[in-house]
Amino acid sequence: MNRQYCLISLFLLCCGFFGNAQTDTIQRLDTVVLNDSKLVHFSEGFKLQTLSDSILDNHTSLTDVLRFSTPIYFKENGYGMVSSPSFRGTNASQTAVIWNGIPINSALNGQTDFNTIAPQASDAITVRSGGGSVPYGSGAIGGSIHLNNEMVFKEFSETDLKLLYGSFGTVEGNFKTKMASKTMFADVHVNFISSENDYEYLETDQKNENGEFNRFNAGTDIGFKRKNHLFTWNTNYFLGKRNFSNTITAISRSRYEDVTTRNLFSWKVFGKKYESTLKVAHLYEQYWYFANRETNNYDGGRAHTLLSDYAFDYKLQKDIKLSFNANYTRIEGKGTNIGTNTRNTLTFFLMLHHQVTDAFSYGASVRQSFLNDFDNPFLFSADASYKVADWYTVKANGSKNYRVPTFNDLYWNAGGNDALQPESSLQGELSNVFHFGKLQLEATAYYIHSNELIQWRPNASGVWMPENVSEVENYGGEFSATYKTSFQKHDFEIQANYAYTKAFNVEKQKQQLYVPFHKATGLFTYTYNRFQFEYQSYYNGKAFTTTDNKGSVKAHSVSNIRTSYTLGPKTNLIMLGVNANNIFNTYYENVAYRPMPNRNIQTFINIKF
Amino acid sequence: MKIFKQLTYLLVATFLFVSCSSDDDAIDSPPLPLGDYEAGFFVANEGPFGTGTGTITFVANDFSSVSQSIYNTVNSSDIGNVVNSMGFYAESAYIVANNSHLVQVVNRYTFESEATITDGLDNPRNFVAVGDKGYITNWGDAFVETDDYIAVVDLLTNTVTETIALPLGPEKVIAVGTNLYVAHQGAYGQNNLISVIDTTTDTVSTTITVGDVPNSMVLIGSDLWVLCGGAPSYATVETAGSLVKVSTATNTVSATMTFEVTEHPSLLTSEGSDLYYTLNGEVYTMDVAAATLPTTSIISGFFYGMTAHNGKLYATDAGDYASDGTLKVYDLATQVEEQSITVGIIPGGIYFNN
Repeated sequence: MNRQYCLISLFLLCCGFFGNAQTDTIQRLDTVVLNDSKLVHFSEGFKLQTLSDSILDNHTSLTDVLRFSTPIYFKENGYGMVSSPSFRGTNASQTAVIWNGIPINSALNGQTDFNTIAPQASDAITVRSGGGSVPYGSGAIGGSIHLNNEMVFKEFSETDLKLLYGSFGTVEGNFKTKMASKTMFADVHVNFISSENDYEYLETDQKNENGEFNRFNAGTDIGFKRKNHLFTWNTNYFLGKRNFSNTITAISRSRYEDVTTRNLFSWKVFGKKYESTLKVAHLYEQYWYFANRETNNYDGGRAHTLLSDYAFDYKLQKDIKLSFNANYTRIEGKGTNIGTNTRNTLTFFLMLHHQVTDAFSYGASVRQSFLNDFDNPFLFSADASYKVADWYTVKANGSKNYRVPTFNDLYWNAGGNDALQPESSLQGELSNVFHFGKLQLEATAYYIHSNELIQWRPNASGVWMPENVSEVENYGGEFSATYKTSFQKHDFEIQANYAYTKAFNVEKQKQQLYVPFHKATGLFTYTYNRFQFEYQSYYNGKAFTTTDNKGSVKAHSVSNIRTSYTLGPKTNLIMLGVNANNIFNTYYENVAYRPMPNRNIQTFINIKF
Repeated sequence: MKIFKQLTYLLVATFLFVSCSSDDDAIDSPPLPLGDYEAGFFVANEGPFGTGTGTITFVANDFSSVSQSIYNTVNSSDIGNVVNSMGFYAESAYIVANNSHLVQVVNRYTFESEATITDGLDNPRNFVAVGDKGYITNWGDAFVETDDYIAVVDLLTNTVTETIALPLGPEKVIAVGTNLYVAHQGAYGQNNLISVIDTTTDTVSTTITVGDVPNSMVLIGSDLWVLCGGAPSYATVETAGSLVKVSTATNTVSATMTFEVTEHPSLLTSEGSDLYYTLNGEVYTMDVAAATLPTTSIISGFFYGMTAHNGKLYATDAGDYASDGTLKVYDLATQVEEQSITVGIIPGGIYFNN
């Protein structure tokens, strides 16, 4: 299957039958404002993949969105349960999640659970591959996922309402309304999903017990423009209630609840040669873990993050942009097992972008933090982009990145080790982008060398504690293609990705856990007038589950079909559709002994007015 | 792949069979072998917590063959999650899968499944048989300190017939005549008791206070030696480990030897009148008649399970806890490592089948 899939991918790539979802730069119209300006102005030599809102709308979780459209591998502890990424073979806390320019990985465990992010809450999600610690801080080693809300300053209003009902008692609702003028923008979005999630485990007489979940997410984004001032406020509230499901061999009685809130205020002043941005943000996270859902005994933790950030972007010459940044972050964490602790970090970073010619540009940046108890490494990054020909652009970047120890690593009782140092990584990447008419191809090679990796293991008295011990080398190749064409009223679009990932522990000379060597994704869309048919599929190669590489989860591929038809006048569109997921009824696990859903159906209605 | 694996096991089994029968040829009427797993010992491998299965490794007494995952090989199914321990009764072996809350009953010589006990078990830990009754210590809900118990099993029907409520964290259990001695290690917390259960009435006859965290016991003569780890560094108050001698004639503590406050020994085992235990990655030994604790170690190594048997020390090393571990065998006279055998993930207990 593996070989077959690769061959097909290769064949399609060679025939130039594919296209690519990536766009080199995000178009920045004056009327569209993004808070994550570093992504727009200082990432030219990096590989960016922006997922459109149609892709975001097609899935109920960020895990599914990214699993079907990027090379990232997800370890999902049963459908809808805790889900963590492996980006270019790195571990779960080495992917940074950035919300409107602000890093939001948990201060407690350093990760984002990708099943706690509602994809519909964002207008665009960009996957930035490679090191990003200079602009985005801790954890941007494999890459970073950018959740952005766009503010559009023009006269318009639109409202979207979507309702979905499907197998395993799944109900989803989405509401998003936007209204704007030339000086004001506001949106409100609400999303909920609830599921019994009691799918059968194929090939057994078991089913997914204790897997019920529901999630609620709501937010608003407001902006005002006054002359050369822009004030924005982004806010998001998330509440998740989940039971944690069984495995094949272990029953579960646990329940987990978590809340996050995010608030971001920003004040931008635009000058002729400068742009000044002051941001103040507050992030809150809290969780309750009930080992037995029937009881009220729980372990919990919470953290407040207060962040203030000032950026001064200056146009030194027509072609040279500089960005001076100062950031002060204070985190207060408290929990059953971590006591009460705080962390203050003061950071300065400087970024430069020089557009030497129309075809050639480069960037360079440096970062230094202060105040932390652990060492604060000096970080740097350099990138370049050169358009060799109309059809060919080459991009390169290299950087030093880090991941700071989390509150759990430092303070967990028992085992927390306050002598931990940050993990550090050096990396480089080379990317080739080809445009042949409607076909776009991209081929990227990268190398990451990480050391001082934090690993929990038993100490002399048998207590598990984290230490800076392991060293990992990652390298790989990524190929992607997109192709769009249409004749008469028939539109076709094909997107494909293939990634080869090697991530090996230097001491053991073995592949890291849950990093498949091969992953591929494919998406085919056919549109005829108001009818749309979509086929999406991914392939995960075999992934090891033990450090001696003896145990593994099997290679598998999963395919979904989606068809829809739109009714009504243009001002009042009604889309009716059906999703058929895992159409070949494949048994698969992406974490050992945690079967994923069998074939299932969802119907939906989407009203726009 | 599976077929290949099974063929391998078949080959190994055949080899075993052949070697057994060639040995037996010297005797005039060879007894029929009872099964592939007769002449050797088992290593219980916990397996990964939550996402996987525990396994049993079989090793021939002369180390001439090793068979991994024998339950899966014979029965084409998993034992269950976190294989904590094993026990025997007549021709059956009882395999305790803690996190699956069950006990698998197999023929101890063929490993063919005979029954699965699930009803009445909640976080089962250890098994011992007295007469036709089995006794299984249970934590109950691991996060509730007041629902711990022993399940009494009718071994003729393999069903739980009654439960005996116990204080927090019953763990190891030893039968002395018709009495059971249950060490209350304390589950996720700490406790300091030995419960004595009269199996003729299935009631607790007395409770003996020992040191904190009694984690292992051996019986020598009529003395029960209890090794207490002491409360660990992360407990509210850290306490010293201790070695406690309990007279089973009077059910009272007859001697106590105390370690340093930061010393937390474990894995007590014995051979003849010699006790063996581990402390901070070292194995120590002392004679039961010794007046003080030993200060020099005999073997170095971080072990997860340890059993002294016929002049050898069998010790398991769980390595990184995420890959196959190792069984090491030392000659107790010379302290030389004689064998190093790859076993399963997180190997713990070692159980001899003869």
